[in-house]
Amino acid sequence: MRYSVCACYYCLLGLGVCAVIEFSHVSFAYAANPGQQSLCDVSLTVHDGECVLLTGSSGCGKSTFLRLLNGLIPEFYPGERTGTVTIDNTLLTSASVYEMVGKIGTVFQNPRSQFFTVDTTSELAFGCENLALPEKEILNRIHSTVQRFDIEYLVDRDIFKLSGGEKQKIACASVDVLQPGIILLDEPSANLDYKAADDLRKLIQAWKSAGKTILIAEHRINYVWDLCDRVVILQDGAVAEDLNAQQKEALTNRQLNEWHLRSRARVSPQELVAVRLTDLRENSETESIELRGFSYQYTKDRKLFALDDMHIQTNAVTALVGNNGAGKTTFLECLCGIRKCPGILRYKDKEYRAKERRGLVFMVMQDPNHQLFTESVLDEVLISQPEQDKEAARGILEKLDLLPFAERHPMSLSGGQKQRVAIACAVASECPILLFDEPTSGLDYDSMRKVSAIMKQLKDTGHTIITVTHDTEFIETCCDYALSFGGPAYDR
Amino acid sequence: MLPEASIKKKPFALDPRTKLLLVFMEAVFVLATAGGEHLFFMRIALTALPFLLLLTARRYKTCAIGLAVLGVCTVLEYLVFPQVSGVLAAFLLIIITIVTRFFPAYMMGVYVIKTTTVSEFKAAMERMHVPDELTIPLCVMFRFFPTVHEEAVSINAAMRMRGIQFGGGKALSMLEYRLVPMISCSAKIGEELSAAALTRGLGKSRKRTNICRIGFGVFDWCVIAFALAIIVYWAWGFVQ
Repeated sequence: MRYSVCACYYCLLGLGVCAVIEFSHVSFAYAANPGQQSLCDVSLTVHDGECVLLTGSSGCGKSTFLRLLNGLIPEFYPGERTGTVTIDNTLLTSASVYEMVGKIGTVFQNPRSQFFTVDTTSELAFGCENLALPEKEILNRIHSTVQRFDIEYLVDRDIFKLSGGEKQKIACASVDVLQPGIILLDEPSANLDYKAADDLRKLIQAWKSAGKTILIAEHRINYVWDLCDRVVILQDGAVAEDLNAQQKEALTNRQLNEWHLRSRARVSPQELVAVRLTDLRENSETESIELRGFSYQYTKDRKLFALDDMHIQTNAVTALVGNNGAGKTTFLECLCGIRKCPGILRYKDKEYRAKERRGLVFMVMQDPNHQLFTESVLDEVLISQPEQDKEAARGILEKLDLLPFAERHPMSLSGGQKQRVAIACAVASECPILLFDEPTSGLDYDSMRKVSAIMKQLKDTGHTIITVTHDTEFIETCCDYALSFGGPAYDR
Repeated sequence: MLPEASIKKKPFALDPRTKLLLVFMEAVFVLATAGGEHLFFMRIALTALPFLLLLTARRYKTCAIGLAVLGVCTVLEYLVFPQVSGVLAAFLLIIITIVTRFFPAYMMGVYVIKTTTVSEFKAAMERMHVPDELTIPLCVMFRFFPTVHEEAVSINAAMRMRGIQFGGGKALSMLEYRLVPMISCSAKIGEELSAAALTRGLGKSRKRTNICRIGFGVFDWCVIAFALAIIVYWAWGFVQ
């Protein structure tokens, strides 16, 4: 106690602000993968009230850094650590994850898997209940969080019925009720669209004004770029660059790309919608796919979307952009016929109803885990072919850099590789129309470029591609058209 | 809405312990038909009970579907069954017996699952001094099954799109195709869920607060009195 008083006194006199987090020559290797150093010799000091953006390409050690702080290392992810980590002047030894509860709060990436209860109010109370706080105190805290975050409309709702953005708000709120001084966010926007990322930004802003110390690990840096006081770029587990506010401002997109980082510019995908549907229709001498009468409604009074007539250029990449909840994913599901819908698709002078579209349209889902079933990558491609042909299958894998993994189990691959396996299946199925649902969500710059290159390659082999996306950079890199989808966004 | 308002008991809401008692009653008296002919009218009352409860919980659609199924079965039993004979009669008898016996218990189960939150359930188990070793896995089930269901729906859709369907003598590999992604997705979600729960202190202290208010109200006592009446009436049958 006395020590910490002294420390703060020093802070006031000398540095001006306290160092809350101090990494000194920290190295770490996961027990699951002891040969590879996830962090090597990292020394970093974070001061009280700082908002730090940790970035770098996939596998650079961002998440490891956060896990060392919240105690999930070594409690949940065992491994070998050297060097010292200090939080609030307390040396972290083999401190259990529990000591960090109430001091450090963590928001995770996947909104589907960070809730313990099934309704929002219980979820908000969950952390405090675990700390055995008195009931009145818990209710007061929930009340205050709900008001500050402006989420009255989310109280007492079924979590399964919330959108991804709403789930992430609840995740932030359930961390906030524990009133931690330090808040860690581990790729919190990976599954969010443009608007939801904006909302998340507001919550982070609120924490910042409340004086919390914030660490954000992110690929998608644009929505927090001007909010953070400092940017730390990690590369292969080491600090490659530590930029203060001025240095950060001077950084150009080009330099960021050289660091394999995403763009800092915040551009709404709506702004890229250059071609309106009507323009495309007038220009219909070139071949196009015609979509007629696609509509979908959940219940009688809630219509999700209704498209009378829509044209999509064949042999091109078309991006569908639109607001949260406009029904873009549902639209793709209708297009490929896995969801019942009255629409008719006209392709090369032939009309296809929902059931007839199998073999014509293939969809690569946002979570490729849902569409890989077999024991090996090669089998996966083989069952997709109309006629099994090993040579052709190997050829497809080769083009997608997957040949070395032909005998591997699809579930043992990385996220990006799984996605490429799903694309290989799409090619093997010989479907001329390919649909992609957010193919670049949570991808770093290099992986995004790779997906773009594959898109172009697919276009060259005569495929028509329709992709739902909120990724402006991706649209700029490889999409030929951007169409605005849903509601009032039509007449921009 | 204030959180205080949302944790208050709704009118006609039953305490989880009362609900457990009712599930037990359905199982003993309707499913296992304890008491035989002696309890015929009680059994009818117990058959009607889950539907009444579903009405109090405003689950009109579930209630209507359940009543329709039960109605069809009653029509089959009293109008169609006496007219047929042979294999068809045996078949009908099996269906009628299964539905009339299992269905009330099933509907009561639906009512309990749809109207009980994890917190309420946990609070009730704590009041009954059930050890945490049993309660926590059961709580996780509440969360886990809907999650697995969501995964299964997506996987099914993907299989349909890829034209992989049951049939053609490949039923076994089809089952495998379905199970493998489901198991790996569920395992991943389970892991992430545990990590998130740990960082929010699950298991930190032995004693936990629960903001959820449970307790017996007038409606609870009515239902409990009804259950006791049946049990007493049943016991009376033995004395005679």
